[in-house]
Amino acid sequence: MESALNAIFDVLSFGAIIVLVVLGLGVIASMMGIFNFAHGEFVLLGAYTTYLVHSAGLPVWAGMLAAPFVVAAFGLVIERLVIRRFYAAPIAAMVGTYALGLVIRESVRGLIGGLYLFVPEPIVGSLSIAGVQVSQWRLAIVIITALVMVGSYLLLTRTSFGLRVRAALENPSLARASGISTSAIYAITFAFGAALAGLAGALVVPVFSLFADLGIRFLIQGFLAVMLGGVGTFEGPVAGGAAIGVMSAALPWAVAPVLADVLVFVIAIVFVKLRPGGLIAGGRV
Amino acid sequence: MDHGNADRGAAPTMSRRRLLQRAAWTAGAIATGVGSWVIRPDWASAAEPIKVGIATDLTGAIGYAGNANANVARMLVKDINDAGGILGRPITLLIEDTASNESVAVGNVRKLIQRDKVDVVLGGITSSMRNAIKDAIVARGKTLYIYPELYEGGECTPYLFCTGPTPAQQCDEFIPWLIKNGAKRFALPAANYVWPHKLNEYARKVIERSGGEVIFEEYYPLDQVEYSATVNKIMTNKVDMVFTTVISPGVGPFFKQLYEAGYAKRGGKLACVYYDEDTLNINAPHEIEGLASCLDYFRAVIHDDPASARIQAEYDKQFPGKILLSAGSGATGMYRGLKLWEAAVKEAGNLDRDAVAAALDHAKISEGPGGPAEMVPGKRHCKMKMYTAVAKGGNYDIVARSDGLVDPKTC
Amino acid sequence: MADESVASSAHRSVSRSGRIAIIPIVEVALLAIFAVLPLVLQDYLTIFVTRVLILALLALSFDLVWGYAGIMSFGQALFFGAAGYSVALLARDLGITSVFIVLPASLVIGLLVSLALGSFLLLGRHPPTTIFVALGTLTGSYAAERLARGWYYLGGQNGIPSIPTMTAGSYELVEGPVYYYLAFATLVLVYLLCRFLVRSQFGLALAGMREQEARIAFFGYRVERLKAIVFTLAGAIAGLAGGLYAFHEGFVGPNMLGVVLSTQIVLYALFGGVGTLVGAVIGVIAIEMVSFWLADSYQQVWPIILGLLLLLVILFRPTGLIGLLVSERERVGTFGRRPRTLPRADHEGQHGPA
Repeated sequence: MESALNAIFDVLSFGAIIVLVVLGLGVIASMMGIFNFAHGEFVLLGAYTTYLVHSAGLPVWAGMLAAPFVVAAFGLVIERLVIRRFYAAPIAAMVGTYALGLVIRESVRGLIGGLYLFVPEPIVGSLSIAGVQVSQWRLAIVIITALVMVGSYLLLTRTSFGLRVRAALENPSLARASGISTSAIYAITFAFGAALAGLAGALVVPVFSLFADLGIRFLIQGFLAVMLGGVGTFEGPVAGGAAIGVMSAALPWAVAPVLADVLVFVIAIVFVKLRPGGLIAGGRV
Repeated sequence: MDHGNADRGAAPTMSRRRLLQRAAWTAGAIATGVGSWVIRPDWASAAEPIKVGIATDLTGAIGYAGNANANVARMLVKDINDAGGILGRPITLLIEDTASNESVAVGNVRKLIQRDKVDVVLGGITSSMRNAIKDAIVARGKTLYIYPELYEGGECTPYLFCTGPTPAQQCDEFIPWLIKNGAKRFALPAANYVWPHKLNEYARKVIERSGGEVIFEEYYPLDQVEYSATVNKIMTNKVDMVFTTVISPGVGPFFKQLYEAGYAKRGGKLACVYYDEDTLNINAPHEIEGLASCLDYFRAVIHDDPASARIQAEYDKQFPGKILLSAGSGATGMYRGLKLWEAAVKEAGNLDRDAVAAALDHAKISEGPGGPAEMVPGKRHCKMKMYTAVAKGGNYDIVARSDGLVDPKTC
Repeated sequence: MADESVASSAHRSVSRSGRIAIIPIVEVALLAIFAVLPLVLQDYLTIFVTRVLILALLALSFDLVWGYAGIMSFGQALFFGAAGYSVALLARDLGITSVFIVLPASLVIGLLVSLALGSFLLLGRHPPTTIFVALGTLTGSYAAERLARGWYYLGGQNGIPSIPTMTAGSYELVEGPVYYYLAFATLVLVYLLCRFLVRSQFGLALAGMREQEARIAFFGYRVERLKAIVFTLAGAIAGLAGGLYAFHEGFVGPNMLGVVLSTQIVLYALFGGVGTLVGAVIGVIAIEMVSFWLADSYQQVWPIILGLLLLLVILFRPTGLIGLLVSERERVGTFGRRPRTLPRADHEGQHGPA
């Protein structure tokens, strides 16, 4: 019983991490049709910002608070300078964002000396819940992720800004025809996606340490999650991320880890073959 | 300042020759170079430089280790040249990047062999890199190759010499020490590639021979970062010694999850034989408190051995910063390799591959990081002093030293 | 009059409007340059260019599927690596190194693997989306890489080292000018085959599919079948490249199968410019040569410089390098065969030999 609870909690916390990473990717893909190959590097930048703030002597949570804003600002600049030119050529966007990611990754690698560096979590220690040792920080990640999800959902469905975003998401031409400035919406959405990634990076850096390849590690799972969840909605990437995260964490309990790894992908592909729209079949594909 | 790939280890009188060589290389590089059958003028010179090639990972995931190797090479070559070179000839050092990528590596290694025509190549860090470049160097390139990094043993290719620790060296004294200090129930969680497989194979024999018990041995994909299932197994089976070969990016989260589950609190211990100063920063100090490792060198050895202290001080002065002289990166093996090769060339009196190989076969050095070293004749591997160290408060304490030089027991 | 305009619009020859076709000039120029390169280069450079040519073959296979069939395949390395591993095993376990067996074998293996994957991904009740195919091929590549990394028989992480040299009878095809010409001949042959294919009636159907898939389907073309055929052909080509590569480099490793290589090939081809065959070749050559040169001059930071260069080129020319050389109209291309004669205005719509 104890190990089942343990398993559930760990699976949940890893799932939450993946959801956070994937959400930004999914939103950007849904709205602009661009698969941002540099998304992983936004996660890395969030982690790096947290590390920098910490090594400057300030408390870690300050770095974690700052990270989404720093990365959002960075994302905004990138969107204006680079990404905007790719809306008409989404394929070229792949090359462009890949190149961008390469530059960011290698720069960070040079700055941190290619090593793995730890960043302490703001809340140290474990709680004992129902006989199970639960890491407080991982619990915090789950809670924060849930709050962010709820907040984003409310923003999208209850505010007029959210209405405009959803309009641009579902039918850009009609939105433009209705007087919505899709250009501004795109910029803000991109920045928002980047902020989410930055937050994800900041939250997970105590768990995984800071290293230059932190971003790439999540990129493939991110794409898989977006495909699995379905493009064109907000719930899609969340569902996809949750599914991928849960499977990645849960399968090693049941089968040999080497096999579990591949199985996640195979299961996802077979699922999408049978249900092409993805988990939440609702939007444009 | 690096000038491309040639370090100026030579005296200024070489500059015109160097310039002409550089010009020839540039022309070749822009694909209008001179064909390989043109006879070059014979620049008869008594002080024709000896060319040493270093092929190591300067960029990419293994860059932190490759750069340490390159730094050690630079430091040593400068020292040797300042002392008059070998056989009265200066050394020219040529460094190529293997970029943590085997396909790129082979192309760059070929530059060393065919364009620069080096007399020896040192380098490669991961075993997959060594396997990728060894043919280009030894078989097709007919050049000596010295591999400096700790690995799984079993590399018995002629003209390929290894100066890093083998499983025997890392386990023979270490595991009995662990058992003597209370370890009984071992878990062997490992990364899924060759080195952990071979190491665990050897370790298991030593564990069982010394009275310990292996509770489980499990392999994980190299980039797995979620270890809850493993931690659970360790806790429920009352394992008291986790002898792990999980590597980054997984090892940090693994140790963290283990700590959070209460493993250390109930007296569990950690052992990881590639852990050195580079890896200390992956976790918070309390998460790896008491972790034991066994390598040919730790920084703390400078209190034991004056020669090591001198070498470390010199390295720190020339290369302050993040790239450390550490055993896990192969930098110590690089030092040993270059010095042993130097001794071999002096004995052979020339640079003929067979003569140097024959001399290298039984070469010895009396000073090096960690102490002296000796090649085992016929085996092309190196005996060296091994140290057991324990992590305390984010630094290592040496708790045991081998009496003499430990045998690699391979080939 | 109506016939004339229909005929001329269906077979619009670029030369008719006065502009010269640049692509054939580029093709011939490259052919000439690469034919004589080994005579002027030092051996180690010849070996480097050989490797680039083999990678160009792989990129060509990608251009075929994406540029001509609209399949975004992130799995070309799967066929490349599968063939590479297979011939490495043939050499290691059975001692087979003859070029007359190895090359056909690698072709067949690439074909079989892509047939299997292609049928699963492309055929079936629902026509697959681009994303699904992309990720499906990615999964194939990813899974194969993980498998190879974990399987001891395949050498695990280290792969299979020390592959013996390829032989033709008792003659050894060593790396250097000899192997260069083998790879070069293969590339030229395959290139000509592809060129013939895309300018044939089959190519016309592919072009129609690329431009407007639904319409072509309404015309009665089995779109999925067409895609599967192209995919399989491209897989065979990738396999051929894999066989050449394995023997040239002397080792195979899990990296040959993996996602990193697959993605790199996609990028090389996109960078060079898709849909023109020669663009993919140019892309590979450009990036590999720049990397080679940069790695020497800027040892510590060359990946960053490479990334910046890629970014700048793609920002200003999203169609890739080929966009710098040829006009957009020529890039998109002319299709089908030219008519034997051009209809004249005062004929009563008669075509045929004058």
